[in-house]
Parts: sequence; structure tokens; C-alpha cells
Amino acid sequence: MNFVFPAFFLICSAFLLFCDPQGFLPALMGGAQRAASLSLSLVAVYAVWLGFLQLLADSGLSRLLSRVLSPVTGKLFLSDEESLTAVNANLAANLLGLGNAATPSGIRAAKLLSEQPNAKRNLTMLFVLNATSLQLLPGTVLSLRSLAGSASPYDILLPTLLSTLFSTLVGVGAVLLFFKKDSRC
Amino acid sequence: MLAAFLPLLFMAVFVFALIRKVKVYDSFVAGAKGAVRLVVSVFPYMAAMFLLSELLEKSGLEEVLLRFLSPVLSALGIPSEIGKLLLVKPFSGSGATALLSEIFARYGADSYIARCACVCYGSSETVFYVAAVYFAEVKNKNLAAGIVISLAATFLAAIFGCLLCRIL
Repeated sequence: MNFVFPAFFLICSAFLLFCDPQGFLPALMGGAQRAASLSLSLVAVYAVWLGFLQLLADSGLSRLLSRVLSPVTGKLFLSDEESLTAVNANLAANLLGLGNAATPSGIRAAKLLSEQPNAKRNLTMLFVLNATSLQLLPGTVLSLRSLAGSASPYDILLPTLLSTLFSTLVGVGAVLLFFKKDSRC
Repeated sequence: MLAAFLPLLFMAVFVFALIRKVKVYDSFVAGAKGAVRLVVSVFPYMAAMFLLSELLEKSGLEEVLLRFLSPVLSALGIPSEIGKLLLVKPFSGSGATALLSEIFARYGADSYIARCACVCYGSSETVFYVAAVYFAEVKNKNLAAGIVISLAATFLAAIFGCLLCRIL
């Protein structure tokens, strides 16, 4: 990011310098403004989901969930049980399409994984799983599409599922290949 | 049926916790307490990212990139009308949602273009947002490989998805 951020920033600023120098500061402010207002609503969202996740943890449900998912995630991640539990909660939320619930558990999983051996490999795996979309049911698309008056909003379900499965498999495969050579980094 | 899922999920977890004799109120509050701290640690990364995506849009660089990309996209079977969606989605989920509605309004929700757009939207994720937010609390951020892999996988999935839309 220390490369991408300044690179894009400078190119965009140069463009703006020529076409619309007045628009520079409003663009910066607009971006920060969006972050600020999103943060405010995220406090509410995280309060709900972190409370819910704590309840899952205290009642032992997250350990139960882990036992179901661990056969798969245990192969993808080389880590201890505690961080695997956070990873499993994150993946379960992703599969159910609860992106806002996935974020807090994802952040916890990332933090735990980063403090252990194999951090780079595990973090890359976690990132790719989260960034290639695992959703089983694309809720937003379905509701938007039926709102727009689609005759059969569900006919994109199968291609979406196949294509999202495809992207995840490609991503996971690439991570496994990439870290095959040096499995101890 | 979908609408019933969330209330049922919450109710099931609450009942289960009660059976397990968890102090439900204390537990929920203890979890929720972390929300403000979490947002505070995530905010600076989010600000930097949104600032960049705003610059990208306002500077017109996005348009230029699209003009270069659209012949490549058409050659790969992706309708060039959804090029913008592909470009925006990695940065901004809400931006991509707005574009999706726009495509529905302009081409009709059941058109081929709209179906491709749905599949591309549904099979992709806000890559840079995830990179910024998920790793806010990780000290040693080294995500270059992950970002490249995710973007490439998303792009391949878009090609694959549009192909599926033609045959299915």
C-alpha cells in the first residue's frame, strides 16, 4: 500500500491539476467525509455484531461451529485453535452473506494470525478468502433486481454461485502455490 | 423466507445461551464495548482509501482507464457497459451498488448486460476495502501478493461469469 497509495494519489492529482484544480480539496474532503459518516454507522453495526459474536463465544456455539468448519480451514491455515475459531466465525458470516458480521471476526482473526508463525501465509490466505467473496446468497443483488422489476430475479443465482466459487478456488489455489516453496515464512 | 432468517438466528442463539446459563446481557454488552475501539482503529485506513477512490473518480482517471480497458473487456466477452462496475467494486461497495441500480434502470433488469453485471457484482468483493479494514490491527502488513491474487481471481471470475450468462 505504501507504493499503491502515493502512485495513484500523484497520478490523480496531476490529472486534476490540469483539468480541475478547484476540485482537488473537495475531493479529498469528500473521501474523508465518506469515511467519517460510514464510521458512525459502523459503530452501530459493530456494536450489534460484536455483542452477538461474544454471545456465540460465551455460549460455546463458536466452538461448535469450529468443529464443523475446521476440517476444511485446518488444511488451509497453519495455526492454533484459537485463531482458527476466529477464522471459522469469519468464514461462516461470509458464507451467510453477513458482511458486517464478518468484519469484526475477520479483524480478530487477522490479529491473532499475525502473532503466530506462518503469519504471512495465513494472512494472505485469510485475505484472499475474504476478498474473493464466498457468499452463498447474493442478497443485495436479489433485492435490487426484484425492485427493478425483474421477471425472474433468481436466474442469476446459479451463474453467480459458480463464478464466486471459481474465484475462490483460483485464489486459494494461487496462495497454496505461491507459498509452496517456502512453507515456513 | 429470507427475511425470517436473521430474527430466527438471533433468537436461536439467545435461547441456546440461556440454556447454557450464560449471563446474556453481560456477555452482549462486553462484546458491544469493543465497537468504538474497533472503528477508531479502522477509521484512518478507511479515510485514506475513500480519499483515493474519490480522487480516482473526480480526476477523470477512471474514464481514461475505462477507455483503454473496454476493447480488452469486449475481446474477453465482458460487455464494456459493466467495465465501470468492475473498476469501482474493488474500492467501494456502495459505489458499485449505485452503478448496479443504474445499469438496471438503463438496460432493464432482465437484459443480458444486467445479468452479467449481477454476476460480476455478486462474485466480487471490495478488495481494497478489505485490505484496509481487516488488517488495521496487524503491524506487519504485507498484502501485495494477496491483493494481486484476489484481483486476478476476481477478473477471471468476471470472464467466466459472463460466459455462463451467455450459455445458461
